Amino acid sequence: METIVRIPTPLRTLTGGADEVTAAGGTVGEVIEDLERKHPGIRDRLLDDKGVRRFVNIYVGEEDVRFLDGLKTALKSGDQISIVPAIAGG
Amino acid sequence: MSGGTRAAAGDPQRTGRRGASVLLVGVGGLGCPAAIALASAGVATIGLCDDDEVELTNLHRQILFGEADVGSPKVDAAARALAARAPGLDVKVHRTRLLPENAFELVRAHHLVLEGADNFATKFLVADACLLAGVPVVHASAVRWVGTALAVGPRGGPCYRCLFEDVPAGDDVPNCAEAGVLGPVVGVVAAAQVDLALALLDGAPVAGELATFDGRTGALRRRAIPARRECPLCGPAPRIRRIAPETYAAPACAG
Repeated sequence: METIVRIPTPLRTLTGGADEVTAAGGTVGEVIEDLERKHPGIRDRLLDDKGVRRFVNIYVGEEDVRFLDGLKTALKSGDQISIVPAIAGG
Repeated sequence: MSGGTRAAAGDPQRTGRRGASVLLVGVGGLGCPAAIALASAGVATIGLCDDDEVELTNLHRQILFGEADVGSPKVDAAARALAARAPGLDVKVHRTRLLPENAFELVRAHHLVLEGADNFATKFLVADACLLAGVPVVHASAVRWVGTALAVGPRGGPCYRCLFEDVPAGDDVPNCAEAGVLGPVVGVVAAAQVDLALALLDGAPVAGELATFDGRTGALRRRAIPARRECPLCGPAPRIRRIAPETYAAPACAG
């Protein structure tokens, strides 16, 4: 199943500038692995050895995956994933 | 959980926006348009906290300042500009960084805080001081063409730490500081920030709302953020119970 993943600005250098990509997988973790295959280096920006990096929030629709099933969160057809990194500026 | 000492300035929900005293931490790209919007909304008092001076490169987005202000302390230039726009507004300048030594006393003297700092250490300091003082806060940030604004109620649930936990190490956030930010983007983010702030002052249930703006697509989205059960600041077993200076020691993310 393909899921749309919205890519925040800091990660677009890894996706050739694309702000939306599609990736295959039944769970958030599987989608990240597919993203890594297509855009090497992206997994490391999202995950560390404990799971989702603390300065990154991953949402399925409106829900933070931390409050769902983390990387095991299952995806349904039509789900969209968005990534919100911490930013400081202004 | 208890939000700590009740804010010295009183209950914002009884005061409403017209009697409100609002502290702006950071008088830059976000603070300038936010100050104008607050003044226009008729708040009673604005406190300005910043130790920077106006530079030429600020002028494209720090819209309270003009060329004649270059070299002036930002809080003084902002106070002058606000006095011209809103003569009835009470403006108090605090020509200082927000620091562990002064944060609690500064925030508790206000009904609400607008946080528009350019570095993570200050963001987390504001989050902690406000929660401990029981003062609502709206955090905002903008880099390049994206920005966010998060409304936090006086007792958190959620708070900034529910979202981002702790001060990042330097290489965790590659795009700080030198990335710059587009003028119109800070304008939109500041508007979203003040919108949330006025709603909080009016007693509307916006605590926990995160607004995100993507300047490339023009999309402004709002979503509700849940509280983190083990949040060290606003959770039921908080580990942060006082302002400990070493908590905020971080590589400078911006000037």
